[in-house]
Amino acid sequence: MIRLENVTKVYEGGTVAVNDVSLDIQKGEFVFLVGASGSGKSTLIRLMLRDEPVTRGRIWVAGKDITKLPKWKIPYLRRSVGTVFQDYKLLPNKTVFENVAFALEVLGRPRSVIGPQVNQVLELVGLADKSQRYPRQLSGGEQQRVSVARAFVNRPPIMLCDEPTGNLDPKTSVEIMRLLDRINRTGTTIVMATHDHAIVDAMKRRVVALEHGRVIRDEVAGRYERTSEEE
Amino acid sequence: MSRFVYLIREALSSLRRNALIVIGAIMAVFISLALAFGAQVVNELLKLNTRAWQDGTHVVAFLYDEGTDNVPPGAHEQLLAEVRSWEEVEDARLVTKAEAWQEFQRIFENDPQMLDALRDPTVLPASIRIELEDIRLHQTTRYRLEQQQQVVRRVNTASQSIEQLQNLSDVLQILGLGLAVVLGVAAVVLIANTIQLAIYARREEVAIMKLVGASNWYIRVPFLLEGLIEGLVGAALAVFAVWIASNNLAKAGESLELFRLDISNQWFFRSGLVVLVFGAAAGVLGSLLGLSRYLREADGTGPDIPKGF
Ligand SMILES: Nc1ncnc2c1ncn2[C@@H]1O[C@H](COP(=O)(O)OP(=O)(O)O)[C@@H](O)[C@H]1O
Ligand SMILES: [Mg+2]
Repeated sequence: MIRLENVTKVYEGGTVAVNDVSLDIQKGEFVFLVGASGSGKSTLIRLMLRDEPVTRGRIWVAGKDITKLPKWKIPYLRRSVGTVFQDYKLLPNKTVFENVAFALEVLGRPRSVIGPQVNQVLELVGLADKSQRYPRQLSGGEQQRVSVARAFVNRPPIMLCDEPTGNLDPKTSVEIMRLLDRINRTGTTIVMATHDHAIVDAMKRRVVALEHGRVIRDEVAGRYERTSEEE
Repeated sequence: MSRFVYLIREALSSLRRNALIVIGAIMAVFISLALAFGAQVVNELLKLNTRAWQDGTHVVAFLYDEGTDNVPPGAHEQLLAEVRSWEEVEDARLVTKAEAWQEFQRIFENDPQMLDALRDPTVLPASIRIELEDIRLHQTTRYRLEQQQQVVRRVNTASQSIEQLQNLSDVLQILGLGLAVVLGVAAVVLIANTIQLAIYARREEVAIMKLVGASNWYIRVPFLLEGLIEGLVGAALAVFAVWIASNNLAKAGESLELFRLDISNQWFFRSGLVVLVFGAAAGVLGSLLGLSRYLREADGTGPDIPKGF
């Protein structure tokens, strides 16, 4: 589903944020990207979104080499990839319903399709009763669930999440993880950058650890820290 | 349909948000196009008036009668054909002796003394009346006519005052159009500014639109529309202002019998449309300029999705 081949990203100014990373992510997988702050997790996600161009290497997303994608095709890539960020990125002057519907409106979906689809996804994230509220009238966890709903409303085959629980307390974080887990069980491939030990350890999913932009560990059903022999 | 309503609503609310600079941009379009249009109107007035004064005749060649010494029958028509073939000649017509007599009677119908004085209608010569492409070319035509001594008795050309007016009109044209171009550039830049402000004001929405995969054109169209509206409003104001001004001038000019100040509505309509097209073009150009930074970012060479807006 996602394949990186010797990907390197050097930012203007010379920071090597991602250094010769190769990865293969299968359809339906749930992958944690872990590592200290500055290890290159966000950059990797931005590269997979073609939010930044790679410096070297190639990236395939849903069968397409996105490093060769002409710029006018970038929107089509984004339609097959849902995104969730630490800061929710909700529009403050739109209601919960409108925020989610917005993602379909800008794709030109007819209103008759938008309504039912939005209600359905709000049901999924457990916010059907708060659909007319504004983001400021919601808790952080609820806002993040709106963000997840917006990312998922178009049923993308892939979701990229950059520290989605970064601003949330442990209990709320668990709710978000349950939600992502449910979405993953529908067959959606999920890549999630995080430095939350508890979550990674509890989920027992694939873990790709980064350090200074390099992959230092890639384990199926891994833990945040190296499962070392000393334990 | 709902998409169209959405686009208009977005454009209008954005225009309201940046009212001050939007008004500035519209004023720039307005002044620029009013100047350009005003210069055109003055030019048209001069054309109308030089034509009216001379009845469209800039040069008159009085001819010897046919059937006399060196003038065989048909010589008048032959000369007319030749004059018409000259490149500086817009149009030429032959006024026969009979027509000259009719004209004389018409001009002096309220002046019996004059009519009495001219007992013999045959003394009025036939003539060729020539309208030039450019009135300043009358010397050339005079020279050419004077080569035709056997047929041409005398050449009269348009008065010098007409030539001077023509020069004045040219100066006005150059000044008016020059200023209009300078202001036009300013207008485009100001429109580009309003568009950048509009993008900035809506950067969160734009970021999310990009994130969820809205096409680039979907994102751009509201901004293009905004620039288009600014350009069209400015142009419409310019047409309206010049129209009002020239109408008032025409009313004032009714007492001045010498000068015609009424321009046909048809001319106004046609030229007004051209002005509107220019306004629209300025608007779209400004929008594209304002969007160019955004377009570069969409290239993947700049931060697409701002961190936390
Ligand atoms: N837009 C940018 N321009 C230059 N350097 C950047 C940019 N974004 C991130 N970096 C640098 O790249 C490295 C990796 O950053 P990032 O991918 O954000 O790491 P993480 O998400 O793991 O904290 C850091 O050293 C960071 O300073
Ligand atoms: Mg990060």
